[in-house]
Amino acid sequence: MTDFIEPDWAWATYEPSSQTPWDVRAAAHLYRRAGFGATPAELDTAVKAGPMNAVQTLLSETTEPQSYLTQMSSLADASLATGNPERLSAWWAYRMLSTPAQLLEKMTLFWHGHFATSAEKVQDAELMFVQNQLLRKFAVGDFAGLLLEISRDPAMLVYLDSASNRKAHPNENFAREIMELFCLGEGNYTEQDIRELARCFTGWEVKRRKFRFNRYQHDSGTKSVLGDSGTFGGEEGVGIVVGQDSAALFIAAKLVKYFVMDEPQPSPELLAPLANFLRDQDMQIGPTVQKILSSNLFYSKHSVGRKVRSPVELAIGFLRTLDGSTDSYKLAEALQRLGQGLLYPPSVKGWDGGRTWINSSTLLARSNLIRSLLENDKTRFGKQTLVEHLRKVGANSTDEIIDLLETTLFAVRIPAAAKDRIRRLTRDANETNKLTETVHALCTLPEFQLC
Amino acid sequence: MKHVSRRNFLTTSAAASSVLALSGTAPAFLQQAASDQNSDGRILVVVEMAGGNDGLNTVVPFDNDLYHKARPKLGLSESDILKVQRGIGFHPEMRGFADLLEAGHLAVAQGVGYPNPNRSHFESMDIWHTCQRKGENRSDGWLGRFLEASGGATSSDPAGLHLGHDKQPYALMSRGVRVPSIRSLDEFRLNGSDTEGFREAVKELADARRDDSNDLLGFVQSSTSSAISASERIEAAVGMNSKASASYPSSELAKNLQTISQLILSGLKTPVYYVQIGGFDTHAQQANVHQTLLRAVSESVSTFVNDMIAHGFGERVLCLCFSEFGRRVNENASEGTDHGTAGPMFLAGTQVKAGLIGKHPRLDDLQDGDLKHHTDFRQVYAAVLRDWLSCDAESILKDAFKPIDAIQRA
Repeated sequence: MTDFIEPDWAWATYEPSSQTPWDVRAAAHLYRRAGFGATPAELDTAVKAGPMNAVQTLLSETTEPQSYLTQMSSLADASLATGNPERLSAWWAYRMLSTPAQLLEKMTLFWHGHFATSAEKVQDAELMFVQNQLLRKFAVGDFAGLLLEISRDPAMLVYLDSASNRKAHPNENFAREIMELFCLGEGNYTEQDIRELARCFTGWEVKRRKFRFNRYQHDSGTKSVLGDSGTFGGEEGVGIVVGQDSAALFIAAKLVKYFVMDEPQPSPELLAPLANFLRDQDMQIGPTVQKILSSNLFYSKHSVGRKVRSPVELAIGFLRTLDGSTDSYKLAEALQRLGQGLLYPPSVKGWDGGRTWINSSTLLARSNLIRSLLENDKTRFGKQTLVEHLRKVGANSTDEIIDLLETTLFAVRIPAAAKDRIRRLTRDANETNKLTETVHALCTLPEFQLC
Repeated sequence: MKHVSRRNFLTTSAAASSVLALSGTAPAFLQQAASDQNSDGRILVVVEMAGGNDGLNTVVPFDNDLYHKARPKLGLSESDILKVQRGIGFHPEMRGFADLLEAGHLAVAQGVGYPNPNRSHFESMDIWHTCQRKGENRSDGWLGRFLEASGGATSSDPAGLHLGHDKQPYALMSRGVRVPSIRSLDEFRLNGSDTEGFREAVKELADARRDDSNDLLGFVQSSTSSAISASERIEAAVGMNSKASASYPSSELAKNLQTISQLILSGLKTPVYYVQIGGFDTHAQQANVHQTLLRAVSESVSTFVNDMIAHGFGERVLCLCFSEFGRRVNENASEGTDHGTAGPMFLAGTQVKAGLIGKHPRLDDLQDGDLKHHTDFRQVYAAVLRDWLSCDAESILKDAFKPIDAIQRA
């Protein structure tokens, strides 16, 4: 089943054809991946604009209006005042649900998984917030700049037990993770490189919740890292790591997994053109993401329906597609139950994604989450009940509702027999129950787990 | 176990199952028909200590000067150690394990590791889970291969169960057998207004035939089917269970082991359970954290084993505790320890050959400042597979390993 994919074709610009038309399903695919999801009206606009304009719009919308930023900032302050990082987790869920800049938020989430740091250990909402803002600031920006900033980020240093690093006993943890998980990948460095790089970081510490350089604890001797020698400090160490050829390949592979497909793992040949592009762009993330979202590969059968919805994609996507809003605290808790607690990644490796999202507990919890969203008084769709909202967008009968949801929320077509079974399930229910049961049953289908 | 007859049965049933337009793994009723041969079967409970347990401060060579030299701040003093034999003792918080050992229910395999050790948590964990190195085919885990080889499921009950919040362990993965993960029994059910009818519909929706060109869809489909069946079976089993289990400590590990106890006592025939406890990655300020973790493991596992014994299940249960690596011999400047290599494994249950197995790794013969292993972890797995689960260890481990002598053979 692993077809060979021609690299030149893969990264060439997508042009709609009768086989892969630019229609509402294609636009929905773009929004599910580049963002969380879009309403039928937003999808109409995107279809009329054409694929390249739609992608361009997503990329240019990466600055949010001042009024929105002010609102987010005061909500963040209120969350931080409690000192409880779980409140901040709810704040972020609300932000994902409400931001006009979907791609920016989706990339912020990407970096949170990449530079995974858990509030469970950091135990400091303020530091988690500072890091979250850093990830957003660089979300579609310069990777080398982000890597350097994150290397001096207090939450990260606390998380990796690197809040102090003395020259007599260099702490190897951050040096290991920056090479293994943040930049190069296993096999592209030696244990000796880790020890030498750790020496570059000596004297980097967190004091009074701020980064500082303690020159008395810095090892000013000569280090030899990845073939380079010199009296390097931490900044130079980071520069050497990000300058490796394997860095562009490593980041390109992660972006492809995030935006294009869970499996199979793309070959180095397939990734090479994208990695070279990233390198030529001086590790600028925005243009690389644009190239991915504009590619033949992205709109092909290798991509559509070839990812498992992450819990965030599932919950935020469901709500955004139906113009929904809900209790953010409940939502944040549910994401935690489904295995993607915001600000609470399971380890420094972040979320593995793909098949690992799926197990018996999470499948039941996914279905139960949709049910609880539908039954919660605080959940509104376009500020109305779901019945009213669906009527407004022209979906009255069970068949019309199935059609609407299939077009906007499903990457994979629903088998006809399954539609029949759902009609049979809800035949005798009253209008509200019929609707709830229909939506709940649809969102429990195996097809719904893919995006 | 009757492997051959079961395989024949499934082969002849294959035609029937395709007629019924079912897909994915063997449907529940087929498993049921081939079942009930394992009613007094043996159970393996794996406890993963994630993060790299400091083996040197777990099983301690307390009278060795090199130990105290390497651990000026973290070294444990002789007077606190729970002595096991000359020069070797347990961390003071491991009273539960010391008692199990005293009762003849604990075996400690010392100096366990593997050649050319990898110090990445993730890579090393994958090696322990799959028994394969990077670059080799790593599509399944050692327990997944066991479950598949032994026929997928012994009954309508799940073949294996993972308890906890973490993602499903690689060790349990296989192509054909889906192992459920359970966070808590309360959450492990499908909600709906008319639960019966809805559940019935969902089951049929999941089982409906689909275009099989999307592997991922096939995976989600069979996972959905197995989730629904497992939740029904477990709800029924726990509902029937009136036996109260012992009182457990409050740690999450203990709660998960208590749930396992509940499931075993309610007659579930699942042969493999998997639980995890994280936090062993003690790079800084190790002493307090490590002590809490060791107490949690030792207390929880000993409570569980004693609970099983008290209910007459003692001879059917074996616990296996492991970590992906030990830590450096020398402590670091943050009063912690960095990633190392060899460490001890623990086997608990009434059927173990109690005591220390193999010597403590030498402190005067290190490699790059790390302990050298003398026992491969696959030798421990081989003992569990051959002497406890009575199966062909070599095909599951994909190589021949001499089993350690840790389990009383029937």
